[in-house]
Amino acid sequence: MTLLDTHRPSPVRPASGGRPPRRLAVARRLTTVLVAVIVAVQVYPLLWIFLASVRPAQEFAAGNPFALPSSITLENFTRAFELADLPRYIVNSLIVTLASNVLIVALGMMAAYAIQVLGFRFSRGVLALFLVGIIVPVQVALVPLFINYSRVGLLDTYQSMILPLVGFALPISVYLFTSFFQYIPRETYEAASLDGAGPYRVFFRITAPLSVNTVVTVVFVNSIFIWNDFVFANTFVLSEELKTIPLGLQNYIGAMGATDWSATFAAVCVTVTPLLLVFLVLNRAIIYGLESGATKG
Amino acid sequence: MLPSRSRTSVLVFLLPPLLLYLVAVVAPVGQSLFLSFFRWDGITDMQFVGLDNYTRMLTGDDVFWRAFGNALGYLAISLFFQLGVALLLANLLTYVRRGKEVVKTLYLLPAIVSTVAIGFLFQRVYSFEPTGFVNQVLQAVGLDGLARPWLSDVNTVLAAVSVPEGWRFTGLYMLILYAAILAVPAELEEAAKLDGASAWKVFRHVRFPYIRPVWITTTIMAATYSLRGFDIPYLLTNGGPGQASELLTTYMYKTAFTSTDFGYASTISVFIVVECVAAVALIVGLLRRRGGVLL
Repeated sequence: MTLLDTHRPSPVRPASGGRPPRRLAVARRLTTVLVAVIVAVQVYPLLWIFLASVRPAQEFAAGNPFALPSSITLENFTRAFELADLPRYIVNSLIVTLASNVLIVALGMMAAYAIQVLGFRFSRGVLALFLVGIIVPVQVALVPLFINYSRVGLLDTYQSMILPLVGFALPISVYLFTSFFQYIPRETYEAASLDGAGPYRVFFRITAPLSVNTVVTVVFVNSIFIWNDFVFANTFVLSEELKTIPLGLQNYIGAMGATDWSATFAAVCVTVTPLLLVFLVLNRAIIYGLESGATKG
Repeated sequence: MLPSRSRTSVLVFLLPPLLLYLVAVVAPVGQSLFLSFFRWDGITDMQFVGLDNYTRMLTGDDVFWRAFGNALGYLAISLFFQLGVALLLANLLTYVRRGKEVVKTLYLLPAIVSTVAIGFLFQRVYSFEPTGFVNQVLQAVGLDGLARPWLSDVNTVLAAVSVPEGWRFTGLYMLILYAAILAVPAELEEAAKLDGASAWKVFRHVRFPYIRPVWITTTIMAATYSLRGFDIPYLLTNGGPGQASELLTTYMYKTAFTSTDFGYASTISVFIVVECVAAVALIVGLLRRRGGVLL
């Protein structure tokens, strides 16, 4: 009913006279042009990467790399796969991204459940402790973790990347889940309790299934950062077999004398594709999640 | 609170996330603070030096102050894009009738590309020989005199490494602000317009006050993320030429992993944390006041 109220009836007063519709139309057109120009600025560089990847290598090196390609080739992609172990980097990134996401969602949901649904004496304090983590810069953890890892033999492992990636993602995850859990009505829980469901059953049967939208948001936002993480991988990983995509891409630069830019940009295209596909498929859910996540609470 | 909860169930749900968080985030902050009072190269014995590292950093290290100044410049340029351009765009988007969904998607695209790829891209964009995009545009409009190797000119390198950082997240912040603007009650704006308020006045007195809480969050996010910016300068220039694009984060990284001066690197880390906390306090202090000016 309140929904109907906000759907305002047209104002009784007639539109204020005097404003020429011509000026309004010009303003609207200007707005559209400006929005389009900025779209071009945002998208052109990415389009350029794609064009560079299908442009014949000689043309890229010799001619104007900013014009349209004279012909389209897939050779750059062949070389991209020959120059470095691209599939290995992708598999490693998948492992790290999947494992981190599972942990971020499961642990974030658990903490939020304990804080918001179960409740305990210092729950607000614990929530504050988590939230402070939002502003802690990741660089502060590099030296201590490097030292601790070398003591316990964790350097150069998947875990060495996953642990800080999850740790630094938990604050936002906990925040989003606690904000969402506020909207699950008390009565739902009370009814379940009356039916004899304990806290574990409620978690798996009620809270978790209701959280699907928040899970999508949390997973997507984190996947972007984890898939592209450079600093933790660069600090903790040395061996070729464990390199994720951002580290692997660096192998293309100058390793074999002059850089093969066409192959490098082909490799970039290959590595962006999985994330891009997920983004385009889940686009609406993601944008909705980002918008509501940021404006609620 | 769930009536049937027990102490065990609280612990079962709370302990695993809390432990991981303590090990990965909280303990390292404490450990950095501890290490900042020592001199240590990671091999020989640690040597307690009291406040020496702090004295050295604040009074005897020109590179540190240079990096601090650069970090503020980097912050200013990224905020220009992530707050200024993003707010302008979010407002413009409310006047666009068709294709909003497509526009939102396209704006977000740069955010999904890795910093390493962005580094490659901008290396080409700024290059002088062969002529990169920026120099080509300058030549095309007859400003050949301004063409230069943007990344090796000490006067332009800081701006050159800051722009990609601002650029890649403009869409993200635009989206957040746009969502906030959509929540402004249309009657309010309508009423102001009927009273003859200009678009700017409507924004200044109706729209902006309404989105202020989201604006504060966005400012905090953008500022703290920029203060910890690292990847792009590290990959594009590694802080060079000289120290012209050195940020506190790249300086800390090199001190730790190139010079293996873990104690001093931790001191710089502690400073970066303090800087972020101070930035948040400043933002909240400046923006929370009702009559506070638009940042």
